Amino acid sequence: MIALFQNLFAPPRHIILLVLAVWLGATLAERRAERFGVSKDDLNNFVFYGLFAFVGGGRLAYVLQHLSIFAKSPLSAISVNLDLFDTFGAFAAFAIFLVAYTQKKSIPLWDALDALTPLFALTAVGLGLSNFASGAAFGAPTSAAWGVEQWNAVRHPTQLYDALAALLIFILIWRFKANLPAGVSFLTFVALTSLSQIFLQTYRARPPLFGAWNQSQVFAWLILLVCFFFLESRLSSQTKKN
Amino acid sequence: MNSQTKRIFAYVFILALGAWRIIFSAPQSADESVAAPQAGFLAPNFILQTTEGKTYALADLRGQAVLVNIWATWCPPCKAEMPAIQKVYEEYAQRGLVVLAVNSAFQDDPAQIAPFREKYQLTFPILLDDAALVSRAYQARSLPSSYFIDRRGVISEVVVGGPMSEALLRARVEEILKP
Repeated sequence: MIALFQNLFAPPRHIILLVLAVWLGATLAERRAERFGVSKDDLNNFVFYGLFAFVGGGRLAYVLQHLSIFAKSPLSAISVNLDLFDTFGAFAAFAIFLVAYTQKKSIPLWDALDALTPLFALTAVGLGLSNFASGAAFGAPTSAAWGVEQWNAVRHPTQLYDALAALLIFILIWRFKANLPAGVSFLTFVALTSLSQIFLQTYRARPPLFGAWNQSQVFAWLILLVCFFFLESRLSSQTKKN
Repeated sequence: MNSQTKRIFAYVFILALGAWRIIFSAPQSADESVAAPQAGFLAPNFILQTTEGKTYALADLRGQAVLVNIWATWCPPCKAEMPAIQKVYEEYAQRGLVVLAVNSAFQDDPAQIAPFREKYQLTFPILLDDAALVSRAYQARSLPSSYFIDRRGVISEVVVGGPMSEALLRARVEEILKP
């Protein structure tokens, strides 16, 4: 079953899983958008132009980091290679787009982020499945009964752990009541995702190290700290209003 | 105890739990001593002959940066990326880049290789994988598949599909040429 899945979505077809997850997430987010005071049109614009910003920003950031290389073959900057991509730059471009768009349309940023949360959560599920199909983000060797054969060893299926955690987080967020303060859905999603990464990164092979510690875990812990700060400020501002 | 105090206790407890997990989970060591066709692993060794009968063993190229490109003459993206590979090879060969173009001879017509080489004026070695040894060891499910191997013999990057642009090739080659 696992072998069939991996063969069916072998690279470069693994991207299909990510695209399907984004599509499903956007569809579900659209259904709930008006609950957060965001029109369906605005939500679709977030997704459509946001994807452009994400992809374009990722490519632009990569080109800027390798200017001397692209100076020799400038047309490569618009080539279809997915590998010419900087993920941090992509997220930064998406964030800048979202802030600019919400300000222009006078939509509160927290409401926009809440409306987009189902999309983020399902994209995380798709990323886990996509990584499992491609063999990226693989786990450390294990003797656990649920270990899977990958890269010449039986390993923790860390990509499936990630996908399962993201799915549980999505289900929790989806069941939230409508009257929560703005930003709580999004902040809960980020906090739970960070917390899950602190635990799941332990099973990942080859973690990037930050001194003696796992860099991703330290990063996730710092995000968790920031999330709690904002979460408390959102919840206490609601209490004061009441 | 009001609800805000309870929440703050919960935040502190969760942060402490996270910190405990970070501090007491010893990071796994790298898998660099294991051979597997994935970034971070030792590149699986192979011994193949060129179209001219010269033998190449990947293990003998330790200390040099190696690009292993698995391809076939009938594969359109393989054809499309060959000029870029040749150009980058000419540019970096002096700095220690070796290109091994592994032809999937078990699913190709070997008679087409010489005209192909002539057409694209390829000067790097073309190896014949007539028993699918490399395709199997590298689990190549798509053509072309490229493996960028650093001077320690560790795979730095895998690019599945193509065609690779010159910029992508240069960026990856610069990376594996680092001492």
